[in-house]
Amino acid sequence: MDGIARAEVTSRTAVNKRKPLFSLLLPYLLIAPTMILVFIFTVYPSINSVVDSLYDPARNARDPSEFVGLQNYADLFDPDHYIGSAFVQIIGQTLIFAVATVVISVPLALLFALLLNRKVPLQGVWRFSLFYPSLLPLIGAASIWAFLFSDTVGLINTVLRSFGGRGVNWLGDPGFVLWAVIAVNVWKQAGYYMIFYLAGLQNIPRDFYEAASLDGANSWQQFRFLTLPLLRRTTLFILVVAFTFAFQTVEQLQVLGMGGPGDRSNLLLYYIFQTIPERRNWGYVNAMTVVLVLILLVFTVSNFVLFERGREDE
Amino acid sequence: MRKVLLLVVLFVLLTSASVMAQADITIEFYFPTAVDAPINEIIQRYADQFHELNPNITVVPTYTGSYTQTRDTIRTELNGGGAGPDVAVMLTTDLYSFIDEGSIVPMQSYIDTLEDPEAFVSDIFPAFLANSMDEEGTIWSLPFQRSTVILYYNADLLREAGIENPPTNRDELLAAAQALTLPNGERWGLLVPFAGGFPIWVFQPFAIGNGRNITGETPTTVYMNDPQVIDALDFATNLGTEYAVGPAGGSVWGDTPTAFLNGQAAMIIHTTGTMTNLLNNATFEVGAAFVPMGLPNDEGLGYGTVTGGGNTYIFNPPGAERSPEELEAAWLWAEFLASPEIQSDWGAATGYIAARASAWELDPLASLAAERPQYLAARDQLAYAAAEFTSYRAIDTQNIINATLSGVISGAETDAAAAMASAQEQIDALLAEYR
Repeated sequence: MDGIARAEVTSRTAVNKRKPLFSLLLPYLLIAPTMILVFIFTVYPSINSVVDSLYDPARNARDPSEFVGLQNYADLFDPDHYIGSAFVQIIGQTLIFAVATVVISVPLALLFALLLNRKVPLQGVWRFSLFYPSLLPLIGAASIWAFLFSDTVGLINTVLRSFGGRGVNWLGDPGFVLWAVIAVNVWKQAGYYMIFYLAGLQNIPRDFYEAASLDGANSWQQFRFLTLPLLRRTTLFILVVAFTFAFQTVEQLQVLGMGGPGDRSNLLLYYIFQTIPERRNWGYVNAMTVVLVLILLVFTVSNFVLFERGREDE
Repeated sequence: MRKVLLLVVLFVLLTSASVMAQADITIEFYFPTAVDAPINEIIQRYADQFHELNPNITVVPTYTGSYTQTRDTIRTELNGGGAGPDVAVMLTTDLYSFIDEGSIVPMQSYIDTLEDPEAFVSDIFPAFLANSMDEEGTIWSLPFQRSTVILYYNADLLREAGIENPPTNRDELLAAAQALTLPNGERWGLLVPFAGGFPIWVFQPFAIGNGRNITGETPTTVYMNDPQVIDALDFATNLGTEYAVGPAGGSVWGDTPTAFLNGQAAMIIHTTGTMTNLLNNATFEVGAAFVPMGLPNDEGLGYGTVTGGGNTYIFNPPGAERSPEELEAAWLWAEFLASPEIQSDWGAATGYIAARASAWELDPLASLAAERPQYLAARDQLAYAAAEFTSYRAIDTQNIINATLSGVISGAETDAAAAMASAQEQIDALLAEYR
């Protein structure tokens, strides 16, 4: 017994002798700045939100808040409560918005990348014009679109009316307004994701395709069995970024109808932004933040799991 | 060279001496003003004029962005235990939030010390004081940059259609709008900016003209589920659907004056704040008339409008402990900004409606109004103007009302009465603890 323990001690000292303390600590030191920032700006606020979501803030800043358990969450899902009357609808719209934006913009980005990865005339011009929207400041881009969407002076309706149509009140019609916002998001982001796909495509060695065509694979088969699987990592990265972006949509809503009419274009983070100025709402604001974080976690984790599983099948 | 040096030394000595004398009291002044005029220079000029009159008080003006940004700036400072500005221009409708937080001082206590308080108060248009007073009639804030909703019409188009006078009630308005509408949205008869998220302000004239303001006599009374208000809402909705004199769901705020200037709308409902823009840029004769959204009364009139804009508040939040002298200095600045001379100058420079009757007899406003009588329509309409919506928890009640009104007007909600009843219930539940 004693001998074994002593042997372990000696072997440990041997390890310590071989690796000085500094090099053991080095990795931790290197990630420390990031971890400290992550803790201060992500972990701590998240924990804080969870705690504060269990309290009802007092009428005056000087009074203590009251512990209410899960009541704030119950109110969020109570259709007769002022905070809950639109909440479930807004969650639904946020999911529609996120899925629609991603489902439309990511394949578009791949299509653009495939088209522009080959030799085409004016390749630089095409690449730049597709990437250009993502360089514009968000508010500026949304303002341009608000102008295009205008019922009276907007370009879209002017064109529709020149063909004898009636035009659509894009930002005033509950059936169209969410799709108008989705369109702006797709336009803004597809070019951005295209850049990642272009980078991914350029990392695929030419030999693969040469080998494939020697084996008689046509271009669809090459795309399906070579390009797509080899872009899997890129796609995963884009999906994670795209979903996170979609849930972070706030600025364009401020310009494109402020979530209206009747909350029909409202999204979760913008709803939080709308309710935050009243300090009595801070319990709800924190509860909504927790819901948002949970949704984001589910999306991100399931993205990773799906792709990791897909990789094992390869 | 020596002379120059001597002059410089003298100058430095003089200015530092005057700085020492000035250093007595400093007034931090926050203002959110969004109009097409060199606002910073104008406000600095007022601050300099004020300093000449009160050499021991220095006003430091800070432009703080939009009303929302200003409110958030002040809130953040106060929530963090800061003193906030001494004086700030904020929405008149923020009154009860500030009262609830105990962060402002009533102007009334200073008005009472004036030589003739009654003369001071009666010179201010009553409509512009409606949002200054609490239930007991105590004045908390003073009008500074005020506006109302008004009807603009393309006088040339009306004349072409054989309409001699602007409409005076909603029946006439509808008839005129129908006569002026061209098919397929080529030209709308009447544009009302309900779309874009903030319909409450432009809807209020519909309700007020119809005999019932949605904001009540007390900060806990709200009239959403009221027959006259629901009738007004039906009329507002029908403008875009049944009558089709404008787009269903209404126009967007910022597009509306542009469409009017382009001849794509014969009449629009908008703020008096855009009048200078319209008069300067229109290629046709622009008429300004009282908003006629009500059913005709015995005299055939259906006028009613709502006031808007910002007032000055004096801040003394718990913990700031401003001295009586500092508060007195803050009052003097607020009083100065509400004086007839400044209101006349400010109104002429920005297009805000001067809040004092006597300001309209002073230049530059007097000569401007003589040249452009449309400004007088804005002033005279004040006789029919009522308070802007406010209550306790105003941010939440406004969110509820905006979502409900835009939901009904856009057709997202098909049962107006049910939607209004549900909004009323939510608001009543919110305000219960303040009753």
